[in-house]
Amino acid sequence: MSYVSSEPGITPVFRPNSAAYRWRLLASTIGWSLMALMFGLLAMTLVAIIAFVIIRGGANISWATFTQTTQSYHGLINAIEGSVLVTFGALLIAAPVGIVTGIFLSEYQYLKTARLFSFLCDVLIGVPSIVLGMFGYIAMVNYLGWQFSLLAGCITLAAMIVPYIARTSEMALLQVPGNIREAAYALGAGDRTVIFRVVLVSCVPQILNGVLYAAAISMGETAPLIYTAGWSNYSWNGHFFHEPVGYLTYVIWSFISEPSAAAHQLAYVAAFLTTLIALLINLFARSTLRRKNAPH
Amino acid sequence: MKRNTWFRWGVTACASIIPLVLLAIVIFLLIDSWPAMRFNGWHFLVSNQWNLGNEYGDLVTVNGQQVPPGADYGIGFLIVGTLSSAFIALLLALPVSVAASAFLAEMVPKRLQNTASLMVELLAGVPSVVFGLWGLIVLVPFMNHYIYPGLTHVLGDIPFFQPPTGAGYGLLTSSVVLAVMIAPLITSTVRGAIENVPMVQREAGLALGATRFEVLVKTVIPGVRRVIIGAGILALGRALGETMAVLMVSGNALGYLPHNIYSPISTMASFIVSQLDSALQDASGMAEHALAEIALILFAITLIVNVAARGLLWLARD
Amino acid sequence: MKGMFKAKGLRTGSLVIKGVLAATLATASIGAANATTTIQETGSSLLYPLFNLWVPAYSKAHPDVQINAASTGSGTGIAQSIAGNVQLGGSDAYLSGAMMKKHPHMLNIPVAISSQMVNYNLPGLNGKHIKLSGPVLSRIYEGTATYWDDSAIKRMNPGVDLPHHRIVPVHRSDGSGDTFLFTQYLSFSHPYWHKKYGYGTTVNWPAVQGEIGATGNPGMVQALKDNPYSVAYIGISYKGQIDKDGLGEAKLKNRSGNFVLPTVETVPAAAAAMVPKTPKDERVSLIFAPGHNAYPIINYEYTIVSADQGDMAAPLKQFLNWAVSTKGGNASEFLKPVNFMPLPQKAAELTRAQIAKIH
Repeated sequence: MSYVSSEPGITPVFRPNSAAYRWRLLASTIGWSLMALMFGLLAMTLVAIIAFVIIRGGANISWATFTQTTQSYHGLINAIEGSVLVTFGALLIAAPVGIVTGIFLSEYQYLKTARLFSFLCDVLIGVPSIVLGMFGYIAMVNYLGWQFSLLAGCITLAAMIVPYIARTSEMALLQVPGNIREAAYALGAGDRTVIFRVVLVSCVPQILNGVLYAAAISMGETAPLIYTAGWSNYSWNGHFFHEPVGYLTYVIWSFISEPSAAAHQLAYVAAFLTTLIALLINLFARSTLRRKNAPH
Repeated sequence: MKRNTWFRWGVTACASIIPLVLLAIVIFLLIDSWPAMRFNGWHFLVSNQWNLGNEYGDLVTVNGQQVPPGADYGIGFLIVGTLSSAFIALLLALPVSVAASAFLAEMVPKRLQNTASLMVELLAGVPSVVFGLWGLIVLVPFMNHYIYPGLTHVLGDIPFFQPPTGAGYGLLTSSVVLAVMIAPLITSTVRGAIENVPMVQREAGLALGATRFEVLVKTVIPGVRRVIIGAGILALGRALGETMAVLMVSGNALGYLPHNIYSPISTMASFIVSQLDSALQDASGMAEHALAEIALILFAITLIVNVAARGLLWLARD
Repeated sequence: MKGMFKAKGLRTGSLVIKGVLAATLATASIGAANATTTIQETGSSLLYPLFNLWVPAYSKAHPDVQINAASTGSGTGIAQSIAGNVQLGGSDAYLSGAMMKKHPHMLNIPVAISSQMVNYNLPGLNGKHIKLSGPVLSRIYEGTATYWDDSAIKRMNPGVDLPHHRIVPVHRSDGSGDTFLFTQYLSFSHPYWHKKYGYGTTVNWPAVQGEIGATGNPGMVQALKDNPYSVAYIGISYKGQIDKDGLGEAKLKNRSGNFVLPTVETVPAAAAAMVPKTPKDERVSLIFAPGHNAYPIINYEYTIVSADQGDMAAPLKQFLNWAVSTKGGNASEFLKPVNFMPLPQKAAELTRAQIAKIH
């Protein structure tokens, strides 16, 4: 391991050949090695988890996984559909609200309210997902009488990702240079025109990235859904209230505690699918982000 | 300059959904847990039992609330389990993350940096329940067969490290899973901060004859310590509220405090999931109200932790 | 400049919206195609594997009826059934008096008989079926009988070479019907336990050195496997796995003082003994039944059903009557894989009378 910098101009000039200095070099080498080891430890954990879901789950994937329901442990189609529905439903609610909130936070940042709301967004991001689940259970499942239902699940998830979309949108909008806004205002445009026609369009990819990450988060959530969406072995029948829906993460948590080996296999397949989807969304979002940033 | 005030009002109204959601959470949790607060009193926070009472007995009235005879709730063990698992996780994750982030920022060549940091940051994208499954199937037996016997052998004289080691489900296993989950969060924040340290600061150190490692340890890392502390507390908040992964590896202790580092524990978040079903058999509904009270307390704890972290990170920005 | 921004932004935006709409509509149309009666069941994880065998068979014979079963836990089953969200709430236990007073329209309908094993991992003795009793198990779980060669255990097992090793008691740490049944056995056979700890789905287990709290029945099996000298209570559905892993199954002392295993003779014997004591609403515990050959830990697996069903009454009655019939759901092809037993003739009659109350 080299201590010599690769950047020109910052190579140490003072390099006496004393024993003390050699000790310091040795200490540095050990230090860097330890740091590399720590990095390796985290990277290996990722590799281990991915290998685990591929070996246990990827191997058991079959045509039936995508065509049959969890009834009698044949497939996962009801859970896959449910996960997609719950996620899209949450996004349909959270994305407009989140993006508009992001606009408020960035374009009116000179207001005290905007700074307060930005802080409250962070507070909401920090609320544990099970607390949101309990809230959804008390407020929607019981108080509003919706029972275990698609909508209760969607709204609970939406509450979880709204602040996230708002903050990523805010960040994206703040990166748009101020002089673009000033130019538009100078031409006589109002707030609405400036924001929608000038500022927003120049950072659509970044905002969509925030939405994509939010989709990945909701796909992987379990705790807020257990007592709001419930669970169903059948595909969704078009009802928003009173009918439970299935989702992939439930299968992972619940089927692993059942007696049959077929149930365990489904749990592994579900783990494989959720991990795959979450990681692919993450990779996709990062790659678009980099492409966009490249010219800057 | 032409301003559409109606537009601004519209946007403000939409943004107000965030505080309204927070308000709704607090109000619903308060209303639902009110009977439990009346029944439990302050002793709820310190005593250690979760006793629904005799479900088949006739309801009795205590502190103005109807409950099954013998009902008695105290979540001291949950508070201890939650705090200890999160703090041990932070203790494990912090050095690893700071080292990894310094390695990424300082040693990895620029063209490899994105790929290398991906290896850590993707870890944050793995769903919590998948961590739980991996913990349950891989980590629990591994800890039980290899790590725990080794630890008792080497550190067995220190209190809290003495056997018995149980079955691999417990405090340390939960903390390891939590540490893996929060490490990428700390790593990416700290890496960003290290990269933002001005080059002149490093050059000054190098010019004085320090090695790059010495520059890193003596000037760069101390320079970003507020970020490290802020990111650490933020990660702590995440660990305190983590549910599914802990649920699957913690052993779900009930009514007693951990007697060593291997002991089964329960955390507030995982307890809500594992006990809501039993609570629904309570005809008086008190068990469910008590779970809502736990959710409210957890909300308060994470709120305090998050506000502290944001404050520190905000200070570090200047 | 502005125009270019607009066009690009709009295109990206509308594409996304179209995609979302298309996906939503596609999934919605899949769902809308199923226009049949759906009976919802949720609850007991012990009952769930049986429902998983019933549903395909019943749906084949009645293509117009779908049954949606879920393993959530008895508490959820009860609550959801009372709330009217599901028609069937699977439960390992009947509703308490307080519950019945609040919800008098609820019926407790047994559909099968389940039992519980007490298992152990004693190297060399796993094939032996060592003998245990309620009071001895109480003392083990309380931490007052700490070694396998405790004098009380030795007295019960003459001629068995019990090791001088600490007993590792394993119990469920999540809320569970299994805990309810096991602690009832301890309570009914040992008044001391009843007074001090009682029974329930969640029990404040006394702290015992080396004890293990496990989650779910698979967690119990795993804990047994991993820990020699351990003892645990496990639902009979897991018998296959216990045998496969070479773990021990204890003979339990019944009310008459005999030591018995859960078999096709002892479980029905206990059930038969309890039938005369079963009231019309069938709310009764079958634990610690009298009789020379009766296995002490058996229970009715209930479906908790509201009597007011409206349109659902007819398909529901039809299904329940099929489920409790020995030519239908109580046939051995369904019960054997999960090691359940059919309802005794007399109990089935009571059950059918209860089913008739659904309207």
